[in-house]
Amino acid sequence: MDLCVFGVDDGYAEAIIRGLRASFLTEAQYQQMKNCASIPELKSFLEETDYQNCLQADNPQIPTSILRQRLKKKLADEFEYIEAQSTGTLTKYLFHLRCRFMIDNVVNMIEGLKNKIDIEILLSNIDPLGWFPEIKNIKVLEGDDYSSLYRDVLIDTPIGVYFMKFLEESIENLHENRTLNDIQNLFREMKPEYIRTSLKKMWLEDFYLFCEQELMPTSQEALLELLKFEADFKTIQVIYNSIGNRDLNTAAKIITTRKQLCPTIGNLYPDCEKMYLQAMTLDALREAVKGCDNYRDLLKDAPDPLKREEFNVQTKTLDDIMYDDECRRYALAFDGQGSYGVFYSYLKLKEQEIRNIIWLAEMISRKLAKNHPGWKKIIIPFSHLGK
Amino acid sequence: MSFFRSKQMKYYSLVIPRESAWVVMDQLGRLGQLHMIDYDPLIPMMNRPFANYVKRCDEALFKLIGIESLLKQFKKNLIHCEDTQKLLDHFRDIQNSRQKPGHTYFDELEQVIEKKKNHIQEMSNNLQNLLDRVDSITEQKLVLEKAKEFLGKSMFSQSIPHYLNDYQQLKFGQLIGVIDKEDETRFKRIMFRITKGNAWVNIVDLLPEKQHHQIKTSIDLNRAQQPRCLYVVVYPGMNDQSTLKQKLLKVCDSFAKNRIEYPNSQEAMDNKLRELSIQINEALNLIQMTKKQLDVTLDEFVKEQNGCNCSYFEQLRLYVLKEKYLYVNLNYLLMQGSIFTGQFWLPEGLEAQVEDKLRNAMQNSIDRFPTGQIQQIQPKPGDLAPTYFNLNEVTMPFQEIVNTYGVPRYQEVNPGLFTVITFPFLFGVMFADIAHGFLLLLCGLYVIFWKKQLKRQTDSMFNAMIPFRYLLALMGLFAFYNGLIYNDYLSISLNLFGSCYYPKHEEWEREQNCVYPFGIDPVWLASGSSLNFMNSYKMKLSVILGVTHMLFGILMKGANTLYFRNYLDFFCEFIPQLLFMACTFGWMDFLIMMKWLNVYPNGKDPSIIETMINQVLKPMEESATPVFPNNAPLQLTLTQWLTVIALVSIPWMLLPKPLILSLSHKKHRVSDPQQQKLIPEKQGSEDIDSYQFRKDLQFAISSKSVEISEQEHDSGEIWVHQMIETIEFVLGGISNTASYLRLWALSLAHGQLAEVFYDMCIAGKIDMGGIVGGLMGGYFYIVFALLTFGVLMMMDVMECFLHALRLHWVEFQSKFYKADGYLFVGYSYNKVLSEHLK
Repeated sequence: MDLCVFGVDDGYAEAIIRGLRASFLTEAQYQQMKNCASIPELKSFLEETDYQNCLQADNPQIPTSILRQRLKKKLADEFEYIEAQSTGTLTKYLFHLRCRFMIDNVVNMIEGLKNKIDIEILLSNIDPLGWFPEIKNIKVLEGDDYSSLYRDVLIDTPIGVYFMKFLEESIENLHENRTLNDIQNLFREMKPEYIRTSLKKMWLEDFYLFCEQELMPTSQEALLELLKFEADFKTIQVIYNSIGNRDLNTAAKIITTRKQLCPTIGNLYPDCEKMYLQAMTLDALREAVKGCDNYRDLLKDAPDPLKREEFNVQTKTLDDIMYDDECRRYALAFDGQGSYGVFYSYLKLKEQEIRNIIWLAEMISRKLAKNHPGWKKIIIPFSHLGK
Repeated sequence: MSFFRSKQMKYYSLVIPRESAWVVMDQLGRLGQLHMIDYDPLIPMMNRPFANYVKRCDEALFKLIGIESLLKQFKKNLIHCEDTQKLLDHFRDIQNSRQKPGHTYFDELEQVIEKKKNHIQEMSNNLQNLLDRVDSITEQKLVLEKAKEFLGKSMFSQSIPHYLNDYQQLKFGQLIGVIDKEDETRFKRIMFRITKGNAWVNIVDLLPEKQHHQIKTSIDLNRAQQPRCLYVVVYPGMNDQSTLKQKLLKVCDSFAKNRIEYPNSQEAMDNKLRELSIQINEALNLIQMTKKQLDVTLDEFVKEQNGCNCSYFEQLRLYVLKEKYLYVNLNYLLMQGSIFTGQFWLPEGLEAQVEDKLRNAMQNSIDRFPTGQIQQIQPKPGDLAPTYFNLNEVTMPFQEIVNTYGVPRYQEVNPGLFTVITFPFLFGVMFADIAHGFLLLLCGLYVIFWKKQLKRQTDSMFNAMIPFRYLLALMGLFAFYNGLIYNDYLSISLNLFGSCYYPKHEEWEREQNCVYPFGIDPVWLASGSSLNFMNSYKMKLSVILGVTHMLFGILMKGANTLYFRNYLDFFCEFIPQLLFMACTFGWMDFLIMMKWLNVYPNGKDPSIIETMINQVLKPMEESATPVFPNNAPLQLTLTQWLTVIALVSIPWMLLPKPLILSLSHKKHRVSDPQQQKLIPEKQGSEDIDSYQFRKDLQFAISSKSVEISEQEHDSGEIWVHQMIETIEFVLGGISNTASYLRLWALSLAHGQLAEVFYDMCIAGKIDMGGIVGGLMGGYFYIVFALLTFGVLMMMDVMECFLHALRLHWVEFQSKFYKADGYLFVGYSYNKVLSEHLK
C-alpha cells in the first residue's frame, strides 16, 4: 500500500537522489585516477567529473585536507537541497541521518580542544554535513567538565539527548557512594574515542527506534536490515578492538566496557551477547558470531588483533572488510524502490567515494609505486552489482 | 542535385608539419568545409597533445567570465558582435601586422587577460575591504552610541552604590558587542545558563546605516549584509580574574563577533567617537579614488575596437573561443614525431580550394615552414561519409523535420526535398479553410517581409517564428488553396462562379451541361445531404492522395536500389512491393476515379467497398453493379488478374532474397582465402606506405566482416528479418492507407468546429434582429474571434501539423528511408563564433 502513496510526498526527493546516482565515479574513472601522476593532475581529472564546480576556484596543488573539505561540502550541499525538498517524516528522517555527523563533529571539537588545537582550525575542519550553529560555542569547554558543557551548550542541540544519556550512564556506572572527585576523575580518564562510540551507539539505537515506529513498511524493511547490520558491525568492531587492548587490563573491565559500547539491537543481540562479551581471542569472536548471516566468512580474513603491531598498509584490516561488505549492501539498498533506504545508502556510498578519492590522493601525493598494494585498497560503489 | 541526394564526399588524409600546424588549421577553419575525423575516439581528450592548450583556453575563458560579472556589477554595457566574418577578418589583420608566429598571439592575450584580471580583482577586493571597513567603523560608532543610551552615565563610574542592606558594595562589569541576529536567542539562553540568571542581558537590533547609502548603491558589490544585533551584558563582579567573567568572555568570543571595549569616561567616549568619524571620512575618500581607477580599467574592456564593431572584451572572448576550437580539432589529428596526420571528409570539388589555402597558408609568415598536404585516400570499409546538404532558409525547416526523425544515410534519397511541398500540402488538406488558410499565409508573409525588424525585438513571439517563416507561409498557402477546393470559408460556401443549380418547386434543379468550374458547388452545402456528400468526397480524396504518396515512396526505394546498384533489392523487394501496392490500393483508386467519371443509372450505383471485398470473397462472380459501365466481364478479368498478381507478390517479397543471400553466404565461406588476395589489388597505385595501408585495410575488413557475418549472413536472422519486413509491408499497406483517412477526419473536425462557432456566435445572433440582436452580435463577434484564434488558429494548426508530421515520418518514409546517416559537421570558425554570439 505504501508504495502507492510513496511518491505523493517523497517522490521528488527520491527522484533527485536517483538522478544523483549518475554522479558516482565509474570504475574506468577510478582507473584513470590511479594513473594520475600528481595532485594537480588528479584535480584536473576531478574537474571533468561531477566534482567540477566545487574545485574550480582552488589552487591546483590542493592539500588533501582541503580536498576532502570541498568534496564533503558538495555532498552536504546536495543533501541540504534534498532536505529542503522533503516534508514530514522524510525531513525528520534526514535530520536523524545528519546527527551522526554532528556527533563526530562534537567529539572532534572536544578532542581538538583537549589537545589545544586552535579553534579556527577546528572550525574549518568540521564536516559540513554535521554543522549546527552551537558548534562554535563548544569552545566554552573547560578542562574535562563535560557536564557543564552539556548544561551550557549542548542541551539545546539535537544531540543533547544523547549526550545527557551518556553522562547519566557514565555516572551511574560508578560505585554507590561517589564523590565529585570520582566524577572528575572519570571524565579526565575518558577518551574522546570512547565518547564517540557511546554516542554513536545511542544514536543508532534511537534511529532504529525511529525507523521502527514512524516509517512505512517498505522503508522499514530496507532500513532495519541495514541498521541491524550496522549495529552488528559496531559490535564486532568493539569486541575486536578491545581484544588485547592495553587500557583494559582486567576481564571484568573489558566486559563492562563492551557492554556499554555494544548496541542493543541487531542480529547478534541478544542471542549471541553472552558469547561475544566473553570473547577474548579472535577465534572466540568468530565462534560467537557464527550463528548470524555471513559474519563468520567476513571475519575469516581479518587479521589477528593481538598482532596489531605487525599491521601495515598492506594488511586488509577489519575495517576494509566491513566497508567492502557495507558497500555491497548499500548498493543493493540503493536500487530498492519506494523506500527511504535510498537516502541512507546514497549518503554512505558517497562517503565511501570521498574516502576513495582521498585515499588515492594520499597515495599520489606520497608518490608510491604503482604496484603498491595500497592502490587496490579502494572500494568502488556499485562495483558489486555487476558481478 | 545536392538536395535530392547528399553531396558527394571525398576522404582525404592530411599531413601537417608540427611547425605550421596552427597556421594550416587556422586557414582550414576559415574555409569551414572540412569534416574532421577523430583518429581514435576512445582516447580521452585529456591525453591528447593539445589538451594543455584547451585547458589554458578554458582557464582564460573562466577569467573572462569573472571579468564579465564585474562588468555587469558596475553596469558597463558591452557592444556585442554581429558579423562573424568581419571579426575573423579583423583577427587576420591583427595576425598579419604582428610578424610573429600566429599561435603566440594567444599567449599574449592570455597574459593580458591574466594581468587585467588580477588587477581588476585586486582593485575590487580593495574596494570591498574598504567598504567592509566603513561598515565596521560605522557599526562601532553606532554601538557606542546605542550603548550610551542604555547604560547612561552610571557606567562610567563602574560601580553602583547599593545600600539596600549593609552588604559589601556591589560592583558590576559589562560586556558590549555585536552578534548576528539569528544567534540572538541562543546567546540569551547560554548567558542565562552560565550566570544562572544573574545577569542583565539586553539585545537590540542594529539598523543598517543609511549614511553611506549613496556610495553603496553606486558601487553595489554583492554585499548582502546579515542583520546584526547589539548586546549589552551586565553581570555582578568587577574582578577581571573571576571565573564568571572568564567564562562569559569565552562565550562572547565564541560567537565570533567583535566585542567592544567601553571607554571609561565621558571624555574618552567623545574622543573615540570623534576618532571614528575621522576614520570613516578617510575611508570614504579612498573608496572614491579606487572606484575611479576601477572605472578606467573596466572602460578599456567596453571600448569599441576598430574594425570589428564590438567591445574589446567580446573580441577577447571570441578569440579565445576560436583558439579553443582550433586546438580541439587539432587534437583529432594523430601526432607522429613532428608530423600531424589525420583524415577528413570534404565535399566533392572543394579540393582545389583547400589546396589553395594550404599553399597560401605560410605566405604571410616570416619563417617559411612547409605547409600541410592533402591526399585523397580510400575510406576505411564500413566508414560511411557524412550527410551534407546545402541548405537555405526555405529548405532548412523541412530538412529539420526530416532530421528529427533520422539523418539520411549518405547519398540516400532525401525525403526533405519532397517534404518541402508535400508537408504543407497535406497540412493544407487537413486545415482546409479559405479564411483560416489566408490568415496563416498572412502571418507567414508578415514574418518574411518584416524579418529584419522582428529580429531586433527579442521578446516578440514572431521572433521565434523567423526560422520557420517559409514553412508557415507555404502551410497557409496550401490551406487557402484546399479551402477553395472544398469551398469552405469559415464554414460558409462562397458562390464564386455562379452555381449550376436553381431552386424549382422546393427542389434544386441542375442546369443542363453546367459544370462548376473550380471547387465544390456552393449549393451542396445548403442541401440536406451536405455532410454525407462532403464526407464521401473527402474520404476518397484522402485515400487517393495517400496511395499516391506511398507509391511515390516505393518508387524512391527503387531509385535508391538502382543508385546503390543493389539489384537484389530492386528485383526482390521493390518490384513486388510496387506491384502489390498498385494492384490492390492503386486499383481501388482507379475504381474511385472511374466511378467519378461515369454516370450510372438509378439503383445501379456501384459501391467501391463492396467491389473490393467481393474481389476476394467472390472471385468468380460478376458484379451486379459494375464500376465499368456495362462491362462487367472486363472488370472481372481485370480483377482476377490483379488479385493473382497481388497474391503472388507476397511470397515474392518474402522468399527469394533470403534464399539468395544464404546461398551466396555459403559461397563466401568457401572463397575466403580469395578474398584475402583481393586486398593488394584494391590498393592500386596509392603511394602511401603500402605495408601500413594493407595492414589497415586488413584490420578494417576483418573487423567489419565479423560484423557483416553477424548482421546479414546469419541466415536465421535474415529469414526472421525478411518475414517481419514482408508482414509489415503487407499489413502496413492496409493500415497506412487507412491512416491517410486522417486527412479527411481532421478536415471534418476543422469544418465542424468552424460551423459550430459560426452558428453559435454569429448566425444565431443575426437571426435575433433589432438593436438587441445587433448588440449581442457585436459582443458575440468578440467571442467568435477569440475562439477562432485560440481553437482553430492555434490548437488546430498544431494538431494538423502533428498529423502531417506523422504521415511523413511513418507512412511515407517507412517505404524507403533508412535514416541512419550522420550529419556533416564542418570545421568552421564562422559556425563556432556565431554559436557564441550574444
